[in-house]
Amino acid sequence: MSFDWGIIWQHRAELADGVAMTVLLAVATMLIAISGGIVLALMRLSPLRPVSAASACFVEFFRNTPLILLVYWAFYVMPVAIGVEFSAFATGLAALSLNVSAYNAETFRAGIVSIRRGQSEAALALGMSRWQVMREVVLPQAVRRVLPVLASTWVSLFKDTSLVSVIGVSELAYVSLQIRSQTFRILEMLTAMAVIYWLLGYPQAKLVDWIHRRYGVSE
Amino acid sequence: MNEAVVLDYRDVRKNFGSFVALNGVSIRVHKGEVVCLIGPSGSGKSTLLRCTNGLEKLDGGEISLDGVVLPRSETGMRDVRRRMGMVFQSFELFPHRTVIANVMMGPVTVLRLSRDEARQRAEVLLEKVGLSEKAESHPASLSGGQQQRVAIARALAMQPEVMLFDEPTSALDPETVGEVLNVMKRLADEGMTMVVVTHEMSFARRVANRVVLFERGAIVEEGPPAQIFDAPTVARTRDFLGHLGWHG
Repeated sequence: MSFDWGIIWQHRAELADGVAMTVLLAVATMLIAISGGIVLALMRLSPLRPVSAASACFVEFFRNTPLILLVYWAFYVMPVAIGVEFSAFATGLAALSLNVSAYNAETFRAGIVSIRRGQSEAALALGMSRWQVMREVVLPQAVRRVLPVLASTWVSLFKDTSLVSVIGVSELAYVSLQIRSQTFRILEMLTAMAVIYWLLGYPQAKLVDWIHRRYGVSE
Repeated sequence: MNEAVVLDYRDVRKNFGSFVALNGVSIRVHKGEVVCLIGPSGSGKSTLLRCTNGLEKLDGGEISLDGVVLPRSETGMRDVRRRMGMVFQSFELFPHRTVIANVMMGPVTVLRLSRDEARQRAEVLLEKVGLSEKAESHPASLSGGQQQRVAIARALAMQPEVMLFDEPTSALDPETVGEVLNVMKRLADEGMTMVVVTHEMSFARRVANRVVLFERGAIVEEGPPAQIFDAPTVARTRDFLGHLGWHG
């Protein structure tokens, strides 16, 4: 059996595009999911029952559904249900964002409730509104405290972006698998894909370890 | 005393479930007066303080500030809180902000002062509590006494009409208690109206105009320190002070 590793070099431009798309997907998802997670966490902690119940339903639904199912569902069902057809990229982004927002919501909620009550009381005693207390005192501390968890979620997300290849978003996994089926260089392309994901993921994992050491201690 | 009444507590009641924390407390605090609330743990003195700025809601009676009954609503209380400074037992400085940012926070977010104005105000106050050189430090790097002095500066930054102190020295190492009490003494000398929950009897004796002894949510005895410490009229007062090792 002969190998043709040159195939990877030949397709370097497409692979680079795939990497760029993967990074773009992960970054865009995380940006949406951080805001989404905070909003959902605040809703969950609302004293209004319907608001907190709505958030709980959202979180429990999207957190406990397989992501790949969500991707397919967004691709096939959403256009029929809403009547609007989105690009594969927008659809993939939506599916990933829904899933990661649900995870982040739980993360932020844990962070917010871990800030002791005296902190909010001290801020209230200055005359701040509930919203100012949240924005100036509770959230900044909560975010710092959950940074290690967010970092871990990021690393999972980065790899999970490969799932949207099933609906044809041209990120790294899709591009690699496309080249594989055009060239029949299965082993080479799968190896290349693994090496690229690893090279991208390993520094991130190391960074996460560093964040854990740096911020993981409480107070 | 002829000075105006700043805080007027009338028959204040508060329950936590079946526990009666305040059972009809009435006190008048006049402008420039220092009132020390003493008494055993759980006697209701901290609860009274927390009711004063609405951190706990009353179950009965009322409290007035400058003759106006305090509102029950959260938004109404906000305007009242900015006129009262509160200092907590556990300091509660904001750990994610520097010392000076802690002091600036109230003026910037609540009073909408510009950052420059707020900074000037904060610098003056840090000078006053003797911590100018710590302005850019984070609270975690300060001693307990230093943190509490910053907390006092933070409360003063709102230019309150009255200061509430909830056991300000109870969480401190003995060697840093004095520096906090000195700041409080100076504040009293400047004419600040103060309500102080404390176990520091020598401070109460030296600084208070009036001492109020609490037990089981009610007032046992109140009067000038000379009366409470030297010639208590109620046997329970003698008992309590005796337990603390105070013998006149």
